[in-house]
Amino acid sequence: MSWTGLVTVGEILYAADLEQVVALNAADGKPLWAFPKDPKEDRRGVFTVTPAVGEGRVIAASQVPASGFLSQPKNVVWALDRDTGSLLWHFDGAAGQYVEGGALGGDLFIIGNSDGNVYALDVESGGLRWVFETGHRVWATPLIASDRVYIGSMDRHLYALNLSDGKVLWDFHTDGAFASTPALQDDTLYVGAFDDRLYAIDAHAGTEHWRFGSANWFWGGPVVYNDTVYATDVSGNVYAVDAETGEQVWHQPLNVPVRAGPALSEDGSQLFVGSQNGILYAMDTSDGFVLWSVESGGQVLPMPVVSGSVIYELMINGPHRIRALHADNGREIWAYPHVVEE
Amino acid sequence: MFDFIAYPMANLILLFYTFLGHSTIAAIAALTILINALVLPLTLSQQKSARKMQGFQPELEKLQKKYAKDKERLAQEQMKLYKEAGINPMGGCLPLLIQMPIWFGLINAIRYCIPSTPLDLFQFSHHIYKWLPGVVGLVPLQSTFLGMDLGRPPNSVQWWSYSLPILVFATSWLQQKLLTPPTTSDDKSQAATMSQQMQIMMPLMMMFFTLQYSTGLSIYFVISNLIRLAQYYLVRRDRGDEKAGSKGETQLKQRKQ
Repeated sequence: MSWTGLVTVGEILYAADLEQVVALNAADGKPLWAFPKDPKEDRRGVFTVTPAVGEGRVIAASQVPASGFLSQPKNVVWALDRDTGSLLWHFDGAAGQYVEGGALGGDLFIIGNSDGNVYALDVESGGLRWVFETGHRVWATPLIASDRVYIGSMDRHLYALNLSDGKVLWDFHTDGAFASTPALQDDTLYVGAFDDRLYAIDAHAGTEHWRFGSANWFWGGPVVYNDTVYATDVSGNVYAVDAETGEQVWHQPLNVPVRAGPALSEDGSQLFVGSQNGILYAMDTSDGFVLWSVESGGQVLPMPVVSGSVIYELMINGPHRIRALHADNGREIWAYPHVVEE
Repeated sequence: MFDFIAYPMANLILLFYTFLGHSTIAAIAALTILINALVLPLTLSQQKSARKMQGFQPELEKLQKKYAKDKERLAQEQMKLYKEAGINPMGGCLPLLIQMPIWFGLINAIRYCIPSTPLDLFQFSHHIYKWLPGVVGLVPLQSTFLGMDLGRPPNSVQWWSYSLPILVFATSWLQQKLLTPPTTSDDKSQAATMSQQMQIMMPLMMMFFTLQYSTGLSIYFVISNLIRLAQYYLVRRDRGDEKAGSKGETQLKQRKQ
């Protein structure tokens, strides 16, 4: 079992919604298209991976359950038309489950897999361009910047790969597994690991600038704003750390299980943190003070997404899958799917 | 449900992994040996009970001949014999029942240490005993052994991983064969039929069980079965080649006096 993910592009929200990939109108949550249209008739597996949205394409991944005893589940990457949701191509060459989404860079789609490989697929055709093998499962979304792919593996390495051919430029080894996407600012990568540390690494050389210790694993990716790095550990400790020195600015213990990293409001004044027990917190970035919190009734495991003055949260095991909330007070704008009272 | 056993077990695996050269197989093997040492009194009593039953085989055969035409009387006399000898014919099942929570706990412990799904790993992240030396940053453990992913069930991509459930079947069958009291060919009582069926059903169940769960669990079962087989032979050797039948008769006579 995994969690799901969503992304907003312009006025449209794209989400992996378990048995479907859906495109919703971000303003009111009305469905625009879904793939597959009828999941009971046209079974394409369970979509849990945050879709990647590019020029004319939405790329998602699913796990198609095994069809019989001793048969194996299939793990498939699906490229869909961004406007209609119709299928463009699919790739089923990976042996393991896709846990986190991929990233688009140039004419490639890069995604990690539980079989330990990083796959680079041609965006146009879905053809395999290169494969990079790591020593363990790859459960992190890659970051693509300046023709480089930065991706962490459970083998305790963060790799910098050449985007065009997957050759290793450097790798950074720690005492803990990497499952989060690094944040990049001013040629420095900020990334947390399962050794309870947050690292600042030179993006060109792969050398360490500083490390910051916490109480538990960093699973969600950090965010950087105004020379401050914001990160959450899985025990619900929220940290603001000086991006230059690695010194702690403030620490707010929420004392709830937190899987994903925080999301920043567009003006950088608020930080949003979702928790496994279903509470979404809005915090003041200057001191970590909790401004408001709302309960969703489900488990908020993916990172919330902020677009303008609206925050979108995706949950599992709740009355809804997706909710849109006012960023300033947490009041609900809409929920999907709409529950019809009988 | 079995997390109260699974979390300590998973942490023990982490501790063994730290001190046994970061080898997942060695850590699972060490845990298997520890669990077997803890349930040793149970398995010894199971084996003792089985040997005792074997000792009374000539007596049982005599009863079967004597009451060949009266099944009801035969059952009554057999039960009387068991009672007089202080044998519980179903005594072998109790250790198995007690070990069930250990198996389920172990399944979860392996799932946590070598997770194939992120939710398992996330759940375990809150239950790692960080005060144990060297456990920070260990999870997930190295999951590859002879090209097999220990966190995944046997699968056709790693086709050789099916050899482990077959090994589980073979070692379980051998163990059952040695520990189950033998029945004579003309013993058609319900207990004897059940006993014969169990000899094949239990290993089959174990094999299907291990086909569904991570291959790490198969490693546990194979090592565990081998330990018990070795234990069985060591106990036998220590006691010498007893003439089971005559001993059973002597015991019964002594008990009757």
